Amino acid sequence: MSNCHGSHAHGNCKPTGLCPIVTFPEVVNIDEIRDEAPEVKTFYMSFLNKDVEREFRIKSGQFIMCTVFGAGEFAVSLPPSPENDRFHISVRAVGKVTHALHALKPGDKLGVRGPFGNGFPFEEIKGKNIIYVAGGIGLIPLRSSIVHALQHREDFGRIILLYGARSSRDLMYQPDIQIWKQNAGFETFITIDRPEAGWDGEVGYVHQLIDKANVPIDNSVAFVCGPPVMFNSVIGEFLKRGMSEDAIVSTLERQMKCGIGKCQHCAIGRTLVCTDGPVYTYRQIKTLGEQI
Amino acid sequence: MSMYILSSHEIKQLAEELRASHDVYGPQVDPQTQQVFFDQLGDVDALNLEAPIPSMPVKEILFPQMEQVLKYKYDAETQNVEMAKPYVEKPKVLFGLRPCDLSGIQVLDRFFLGQEFVDDVYLTHRRQCLLISNTCLNPFPQCFCVCTHSGPDADEGYDLDLTKLQDGYLVKVGSEKGQALADAHDWKPAQAHHLSEQKAVVDRCIDLFPEMATDNKAWVARVMNRITTGFVKSETWEYIGDQCFECGACSFVCPTCSCFNVEDARMCDGECERLRTHDSCSFEGYARMAGDHNPRQPVEDRRNKRFFCKLSYPQSKKYLRPGCVGCGRCQWVCPGDIGLPNVVQYIRREITE
Repeated sequence: MSNCHGSHAHGNCKPTGLCPIVTFPEVVNIDEIRDEAPEVKTFYMSFLNKDVEREFRIKSGQFIMCTVFGAGEFAVSLPPSPENDRFHISVRAVGKVTHALHALKPGDKLGVRGPFGNGFPFEEIKGKNIIYVAGGIGLIPLRSSIVHALQHREDFGRIILLYGARSSRDLMYQPDIQIWKQNAGFETFITIDRPEAGWDGEVGYVHQLIDKANVPIDNSVAFVCGPPVMFNSVIGEFLKRGMSEDAIVSTLERQMKCGIGKCQHCAIGRTLVCTDGPVYTYRQIKTLGEQI
Repeated sequence: MSMYILSSHEIKQLAEELRASHDVYGPQVDPQTQQVFFDQLGDVDALNLEAPIPSMPVKEILFPQMEQVLKYKYDAETQNVEMAKPYVEKPKVLFGLRPCDLSGIQVLDRFFLGQEFVDDVYLTHRRQCLLISNTCLNPFPQCFCVCTHSGPDADEGYDLDLTKLQDGYLVKVGSEKGQALADAHDWKPAQAHHLSEQKAVVDRCIDLFPEMATDNKAWVARVMNRITTGFVKSETWEYIGDQCFECGACSFVCPTCSCFNVEDARMCDGECERLRTHDSCSFEGYARMAGDHNPRQPVEDRRNKRFFCKLSYPQSKKYLRPGCVGCGRCQWVCPGDIGLPNVVQYIRREITE
């Protein structure tokens, strides 16, 4: 088997010492399953091989390939690193494999390969304000990044989360948001699309929150993730206010089969989402020349 | 670099000898259909070094059409999983590769082994593999390798290279593995006149292209710049896309196409296998994601992608050469009229209009 297990003797070992699991899935145990939102569940898991668990580091923004035994493999974005937090993925049941995943129970096993991809450019944005803009389950890929930013709070200016969902039931990670709010200087603005009984917060679309939050444009970066309609309107608002195209960052998704740049299913224009992405700036996305 | 001169008999002997320790593959002509296959040799006498280029590219041996890449058994009761690696390393000899197929293997090497990650499955097949190429003495009707710099003779990447001359086969050594093989034999060293004779043979073959290789012409270098910079009109891409039947044949016969799909399937004994199969970017479901979002819906988008892959600079940087090796197989199999040489012609026509 060619997985590294700390021996660093394989062609896929990285000089940084962060060796991804490339070929053979490592088995993880599902410890706990939590309902997050309608059709969205969070799976907390741990590696059976504790050596692998110690070696396993995820940069915020990367993804893993997750095997549901008997059903197949899918790419899932950005679980936080096990060192910081419990290792977990949040998945909406959409296709064949994710439905099979939702049918599992605690104690069942999954396979994990990875981590793959480039990750968020935290080194380059030190000292800047971070604006997170998420729509619906778009908060999943941003979650690990928020955790990272709060852990290195002193490195950044204002940290703002603008979050919108269809209804209050669709809001993800509510307990986490309550915990994050207790951090000094973490500003949260949440909205739902339509008025609802018992909801006393904002109603409307996410891009309308930009003014409400009095978002700083200079010396800021925006991490945007959500459905295409929301993505386009939010980016339109930011560009109108004079934000640079390089300061708008998003993560893209594609069908992936290998995760290591070989199967080519995730090609957009001249890049491969798995090795060149999944994190792109808006300037890069614009020049890809394909539908997102 | 040493050179030797071997008789036809010695060549056969070499193949026979390698068969003891290796799986030897070589071109064979089916006696009934006259079709050429590059298959494992059951009998050395079946090896036909004068046969035209094989119908299927040699990539099949290193990157099979369908292959198990993982086997596992999951017991839902005990929640226990067992995994095994089903592919194995075997010493192989590819005997009598046409230069275009050899270039195809080099492209695959650079793509699978030379990028950020190494593909373990390909590496396993490729690791103990001896490449023996064979110079083309005359072009075949569909060839255009002179346009893509991959023939009619091989200039790199081989362990041994054969050229048929008057006195027998000129054997050029191209690697340490090849030299070790030569050192183990008492082969007759070649003379200077053999080398000049080889050059004459290659020149004669190139001269024969206008007369014999009449099916295809593709001035690839001329259109690469245009495709890379996006100067090809969308009407031209639509014209090309309209002729695509989405059969995927061009990808399957292409020596450099390497897209694959991965599927898990349950076998009858409860075990599961992970299969890796060839895929084609012309298929409608190629980029479709769960939830039916398909970012590459129109057919011309997908066609466009394949020719970008073959003929654009960013991709050539990965391959260190154009992605087309000039074998002409895609033109053979295409039920429309959009084999790569024709696409190059369409784009050229657009330039001259």
